[in-house]
Amino acid sequence: MLKATDLTKTYNGVAALDRLNLEVAPGDVFCLLGANGAGKTTTINLFLNFIEPSGGTAQVNGLDVTRQPLETKRWLAYIPEQVMLYRHLTGLENLDYFTALSGTDHYPPDQLRAFFKQVGLQDGVADQRVSTYSKGMRQKVGIAIALAKQAKALLLDEPTSGLDPKASNEFSRLLQRLSGEGVAVLMATHDLFRAKESGTRVGIMNQGQLKQTLTTAEIGHADLERIYLEQMHD
Amino acid sequence: MTATIFKKELTEMLRDGRFRWLSTSVLVLLGAAVLMGMAHTRDVQTQHETAQAAARQDWVGQGEKNPHSAVHYGTYAFKPTMALSAIDPGVDPYVGVSAFLEGHRQNQFEFRPAQDATAMQRFGQLTAATVLQLLIPLLVIVMGFSVFAGEREQGTLRQLMSLGISPGRLALGKALGVSGALAIVLVPAAVLGVVALTLATPGAEVAADAPRLAMMVGAYLLYFGVFVALSLAVSAKAPSSRLALVVLLGFWIVNGLVAPRAVTDVARSLYPSPSSFEFTTGIQAALADGLDGQSPTDARMAAYQQEVLAEYGVDSVDELPISFAGLRFQKSEEMGNEVFDYYYGGLNDTFESQNRVRSLSAVVAPLLAVQSLSMGLAGTDVAQHRHFSEAAEEYRRMYVGRMNEDIAQNAGAGRYVAEAGLWASVPEFDYQAPSVGWVLANHRLSILLLFAWLAVALTLAMRAASALRPV
Ligand SMILES: Nc1ncnc2c1ncn2[C@@H]1O[C@H](COP(=O)(O)OP(=O)(O)OP(=O)(O)O)[C@@H](O)[C@H]1O
Ligand SMILES: [Mg+2]
Repeated sequence: MLKATDLTKTYNGVAALDRLNLEVAPGDVFCLLGANGAGKTTTINLFLNFIEPSGGTAQVNGLDVTRQPLETKRWLAYIPEQVMLYRHLTGLENLDYFTALSGTDHYPPDQLRAFFKQVGLQDGVADQRVSTYSKGMRQKVGIAIALAKQAKALLLDEPTSGLDPKASNEFSRLLQRLSGEGVAVLMATHDLFRAKESGTRVGIMNQGQLKQTLTTAEIGHADLERIYLEQMHD
Repeated sequence: MTATIFKKELTEMLRDGRFRWLSTSVLVLLGAAVLMGMAHTRDVQTQHETAQAAARQDWVGQGEKNPHSAVHYGTYAFKPTMALSAIDPGVDPYVGVSAFLEGHRQNQFEFRPAQDATAMQRFGQLTAATVLQLLIPLLVIVMGFSVFAGEREQGTLRQLMSLGISPGRLALGKALGVSGALAIVLVPAAVLGVVALTLATPGAEVAADAPRLAMMVGAYLLYFGVFVALSLAVSAKAPSSRLALVVLLGFWIVNGLVAPRAVTDVARSLYPSPSSFEFTTGIQAALADGLDGQSPTDARMAAYQQEVLAEYGVDSVDELPISFAGLRFQKSEEMGNEVFDYYYGGLNDTFESQNRVRSLSAVVAPLLAVQSLSMGLAGTDVAQHRHFSEAAEEYRRMYVGRMNEDIAQNAGAGRYVAEAGLWASVPEFDYQAPSVGWVLANHRLSILLLFAWLAVALTLAMRAASALRPV
């Protein structure tokens, strides 16, 4: 579903991402781990065609994202690290706007409200202006937007940043459910525990390179942490 | 999809306190300008109607007197003010709208262009046209500078662009959003304007002005469209919304403040208009010594007298079958007219050349195009003023000619007094303002440039939108 082939991005001669080769199949939850500045956000930006690759290709469902920027995005849903919304609109209006522009079927208001419930936002919050929301609440709206898009692939950039532990846990379960439904997930995260819990595979990145890929079912949590720290040493 | 974007943009704008405050202020200003203009136009119209009737009555009721005294007594001609002049008074305040017509001279016109050429380009007062030409673009810029740049800074553009919507539709939706917000200001103002216009002027006249009004609306919409598209283009291209605002305000200042003045100066240095002093002394000298400066009036008149005597085959004016006084008056009139034609014609040609420079300069500032088109449609541009003053001058020559003819035919030796009926035999001054077609033909360059501006601005906006990146 998601495929990177020798995907490279350099800024002023310095590689932010260095020949990344990666494939995320339907049902896969691939967690990108790595230090700050390792190239995780860069990878996601390349899949979204927000930045031009310096080399290699990123494909979604077999289509090159630079050649078919609009078509490839139809298959994708994206949750950034900081979900930003229109502050003069209510949560519900934001959700309505983003879903309407996603090109999915039009949802009636009660169904939109159901998405709010699903991501753990209390009743009544939906009708408040977003300017009154906390960071975690905005993040939840971002999750609701992604859910409503019913995408075949998710690009998640530290989606649970700012979420309380309960919400984080619910999000992990949500990912498991979506994985069961055949959605491909590429998630950048710093949370080794969650990566092990909800990921099917983890990739450890350092200085723009994907150093090692592991299948979560085959390793314990302690092993993951040890391997990760080893990779960070060089 | 476009409708969704439009609706969201409008909702956001309406919920923004700054927008509400700003648009209310502009609406109040525009409304006040329209009402003030309307009141003024109505005053001028009623004054003119009474004055025109009184002038005619005075003329017809002169009683028995010498026609040459009547020529000196004179009469007035008034340029009919179109209702639309309430929106754009154009050059009217500077050149006047009435002309005193009398014998021997054209320079009694209240149209004194040499003196007022500088004032002509000044736009000091608050008129609806000023609000439309300067303040509305400012409102558009304030509403539009952040449509893309602001979303990029806020971070919402990342989410928006992750959805896979086409940049064209996004830009169109945004353009409609800004236009819709603008309509909230303009539609009430337009309704107010049309209602006030209908109440202020007799129904027939409003109907007659309707095509001009429709075209004026069209011209301003094109002009606003340029600003909407440019704001979008700059907002999409600029690295920050602050920079977008700076760039757009810079354009606004050049368009509205710098270019009009600079262009006026350039036009006047390319085609200098004579000073009032030069102009009047030139006329006086030519009246005394002819256009070549070597034919004194007395000599020419003496030669003319010889011609007439030869034609009738007599030796003295007393032997003529007609009154030579009448012929002499007419001859002197014609000699004067030659001078006036030369001087006023030259002056008007200079103004037309200056205006052509202004029209061409709309290449750098769309304001210049909409300004001249707006004045033209309101009937208050220099060309229509010239049209009126030429008609008035023609009328003056016609009636002065008739008076002189009457003297020539009927005056004998001694004091001649014409019958009271003579005055009424001179038809009333019935001025026909030029048609819309005439106006449009005059301003075809401005129309063309306005469309060109819109095309360029739209292209820039589309290009900038397709190259839009959220990071
Ligand atoms: N616009 C840019 N210009 C120059 N360098 C950039 C730019 N964007 C990113 N980089 C560099 O690319 C590298 C990878 O950045 P990236 O944002 O992908 O890291 P990350 O793995 O997402 O880090 P974090 O965990 O902090 O989110 C960093 O060294 C960063 O400095
Ligand atoms: Mg990052």
